[in-house]
Amino acid sequence: MAVRPVAADAGPKPVFKRPSLRERIKSSRTAWLYIAPAALIMLFVTLFPYIYQLFMAFTDYRVRNLRFNLLNPETWARYAPPFVGLDNFVRILTNQLTIENYDFWRLLLFNITWTVANIVFHVALGVLIALVLNSKTVLLRRVYRALFVLPWAMPGYVAALTWRNMYDDRFGAINQLFGVINRLIGTSFPTDTRWFVISEPPIGGLLSFLPLAFYAVLLANIWLGWPFMSVVATGALQSIPKELYEAASIDGASGWQQLRKVTLPLIRPAMVPAIMLGTIWTFNQFSVIYFISQGNPFGRTEILITQAYKLVAEQRLYGVAAAFSIVVFFILLSFTLINNRVTRATEAYDV
Amino acid sequence: MASVTFDHVTKAFGEVIAVNDLSLEIKDKEFLVLVGPSGCGKTTALRCLAGLEDITSGTISIGDRVVNDIAPKDRDIAMVFQSYALYPHMTVYDNMAFGLKLRKVPKAEIDQKVREAAGLLGIEALLNRKPKQLSGGQRQRVAVGRAIVRNPQVFLMDEPLSNLDAKLRVQARTEISRLHKRLETTFIYVTHDQMEAMTMGDRIAVMKDGILQQLDTPQHLYDKPANKFVAGFIGSPAMNFFDVTLVGEDGELAVDSGTFKLRVPPQYRQVLANHAGKEVVMGLRPEDIHDKEFMPPLSFSARLKANVDVTELMGNEVFVYLMSGENSFVARVDPRSRAKAGMEMECVANMENMHIFDKQTEVAIV
Repeated sequence: MAVRPVAADAGPKPVFKRPSLRERIKSSRTAWLYIAPAALIMLFVTLFPYIYQLFMAFTDYRVRNLRFNLLNPETWARYAPPFVGLDNFVRILTNQLTIENYDFWRLLLFNITWTVANIVFHVALGVLIALVLNSKTVLLRRVYRALFVLPWAMPGYVAALTWRNMYDDRFGAINQLFGVINRLIGTSFPTDTRWFVISEPPIGGLLSFLPLAFYAVLLANIWLGWPFMSVVATGALQSIPKELYEAASIDGASGWQQLRKVTLPLIRPAMVPAIMLGTIWTFNQFSVIYFISQGNPFGRTEILITQAYKLVAEQRLYGVAAAFSIVVFFILLSFTLINNRVTRATEAYDV
Repeated sequence: MASVTFDHVTKAFGEVIAVNDLSLEIKDKEFLVLVGPSGCGKTTALRCLAGLEDITSGTISIGDRVVNDIAPKDRDIAMVFQSYALYPHMTVYDNMAFGLKLRKVPKAEIDQKVREAAGLLGIEALLNRKPKQLSGGQRQRVAVGRAIVRNPQVFLMDEPLSNLDAKLRVQARTEISRLHKRLETTFIYVTHDQMEAMTMGDRIAVMKDGILQQLDTPQHLYDKPANKFVAGFIGSPAMNFFDVTLVGEDGELAVDSGTFKLRVPPQYRQVLANHAGKEVVMGLRPEDIHDKEFMPPLSFSARLKANVDVTELMGNEVFVYLMSGENSFVARVDPRSRAKAGMEMECVANMENMHIFDKQTEVAIV
């Protein structure tokens, strides 16, 4: 059968008219019906609190305003919080809050340092341990893999309180451990270190804004944080075909070069989103700071989210606290957007 | 440019012996094909040569250098993997340049070599793409290109065409053959496809269960298979086998299947004479069985009748599946043949091309 050549201008192009909104809603009515229950619940449980918080952030919302009830018009005139515009934000950013040791920019610097230090250790340790456990020569690696998720599986505040007790200056496991070491090998480490009281920084110079307590909470949070990175890295490592390493070894790559040129680039697409998640979690790592150091000494290990909580818990400044969390939200939002652009995290390799 | 020698090489994985006492000498600039069914040890043999597996015993030499304890990167070989194993995060250019970069070759030289290889393979336009953006055939070329730029002494190819569709495979086959002629380097090529082996190899090594069955030129392998396995493996459709008895009759010799009796040509009588009265296996290729009405001139033939089971028209020929008593066999006959399923067909066998195998050892007698 001969194939008839198709002319370039083979008749008018079919015209597709965009259906009207009404038609479109009509055609997807069943779909809307199905998602309606979940959507309604999300609306009240998630979206409404967000919007209400946004409203609170622009008012001087205090304890008496808790009686304000949107559904009861009688409360409107009496208890509606006074609108104060950007006042709360100005007070936060210019340190006009009546809480002890408050300095927004110091808090922000500490919060960023805390996040960066944690992520560096989480990723380095997580990837390193994943690499070690990925080697077939390691005995009992399944057992290790099961064990290392434990810190992650434990409720955060339980782990945090355990660490708090371990850091106790008189009865804590850590000071006692130093005692044992001293007795065994004759060293003379101090055994009564008051981890969260000493304000003399252990490292001077640029890092002199970090008290000993910082290193204590950092250690605790590294313990909590690396398993997640390790799990993600293990998954990514296992998806790298072994032929790539064989090809690289024939191409002349040493073990170190294979790690740098094959392994790391190939686990990167999995690690980038994990690092973004980890950054957000660590930036807002409430329970470790709040339960272990409690911001001591002198608020120098306070992070933004624990400070916001104290505004409510101690000062009942609901409006300011709402504004505070919005500030935190925008910091993280800008981080995420910048990061997304820089790394193009969604781009994965087709192995 | 070097010869390769396997000297009594054995590779065992625990209890399983993948390569069993393999001795093989591959000449400089030769195209050797290792062929066999899956699990026969051909890929393992290649991986031992590449240094990706340690051998259990024996020695492997490239040129006059024993490479048993030499790392893959220092063996001066290049390998094309079945999965191509392209680095997914690198461009085609970087994939091809990787080995040279690691060897600290000057940038200008790398560039020249990569572009030259790309030109040879017709992939210049793809140099800035990532493997993900390539078709299967293009990936295969890049994998070959990555091997060429290194200018190795020996090329190893592990089923490089098995992921391509049939049409592309035929085309790539000739391209690789042409490449071999042009590069004048030793090629060792692993495949399970006897067609690839026959068309590409200078010599073919047939393996089964880790043991080398026969090492020979394609024509010789086809004409004089050393045993029943090689006979059945080389050629398509495969050789027909008949359980027969050798019988002597008035100074002549014939094979008797119970349903038909075929005379043995005089040149084989002497060799077969002391097997007279024994049960043996006769092999006849489908192309040596003809429809009586369309038979070519044959100097020594024998006739037999059989029932047609199925016919397959290929256009230029017909495969006729026949039954005679317990024996079923295939004939590859002229397309004008009127054979139809259910009818009886008169066939003519070209007995000069017959093969006789020992029933127990399966070794070829003629």
